[in-house]
Amino acid sequence: MASFIPNLELAPDTCPEFKRRKRRITDEKLAYSHYHQRHQRIKRWRTQREQHIYSSKFIQALRRSRLTSTSSSASEEVHETADRVLASLAKGTTRWGRAILSARKMVRHKKAKVAANTRLRKPAVNREKRKTPSVQRKLKVLGRLVPGCRKLSFSNLLEETSDYIAALEMQVRAMTAITEFIAGGGRQPPADRLASNVNS
Amino acid sequence: MSSRRSRSRQSSGSRITDDQIIDLVSKLQQLIPELRGRRSDRVSASKVLQETCNYIRNLHREVDGLSDRLSQLLASADTDSDQAAIIRSLLME
Repeated sequence: MASFIPNLELAPDTCPEFKRRKRRITDEKLAYSHYHQRHQRIKRWRTQREQHIYSSKFIQALRRSRLTSTSSSASEEVHETADRVLASLAKGTTRWGRAILSARKMVRHKKAKVAANTRLRKPAVNREKRKTPSVQRKLKVLGRLVPGCRKLSFSNLLEETSDYIAALEMQVRAMTAITEFIAGGGRQPPADRLASNVNS
Repeated sequence: MSSRRSRSRQSSGSRITDDQIIDLVSKLQQLIPELRGRRSDRVSASKVLQETCNYIRNLHREVDGLSDRLSQLLASADTDSDQAAIIRSLLME
């Protein structure tokens, strides 16, 4: 690790400025690698490969949860299955993914969970005084749209949102391709049309 | 602008500077088809957030519609059509 730290004078460890500089550089390094990881993850959602993996897992899941032919809940089941497979592809690295997966397990205990949250919730610390009320309001709306992200900080929320959007776009591409394939009687849809900004 | 920046450096506990906010918002802007390619100093944070919410809602609706369509197609798997044969082979190997 020392090799990455640029030319620091070897001051004794007790010097506070040395520690501060070192900590800041480590923080920046961590922040950069964190940023890089996130960026890679988002790019992955846009690849053909990821879409194929999703499609085959989705179809397998549909097979397992073989739907009854009653119409109204069937659509919901398909949607839930689509979301569950999407979340599993995120492999627990995202908050929205974990929220989707745990929401299914906790449906029965939802009431108890909500009560617990109310008891433990501390008054929200308003660190973001610089934002206008309209931005605050929209942040709140956004936090409700992305699963599991109601109480995130500004930067975490935007992180989750970026990943979530990329994943949703892939979900749409995959489900569209599957639907067209089936509805088209098995004729392959033109492969390029849907994959406008993806690379394999 | 500079006064805001210096204030943020002094406020203890808050790690998010104005510059970071601007940076994050402009990154988000690049993901929204509506706003992609527009100069980020012309689009307010409020607008970016608004369009982000709209875009996510649209994507949700699309998936809803696709789930609908898919569930209808799957329900027709009991018939004799070509589609049904495809569905059966896809889903019932």
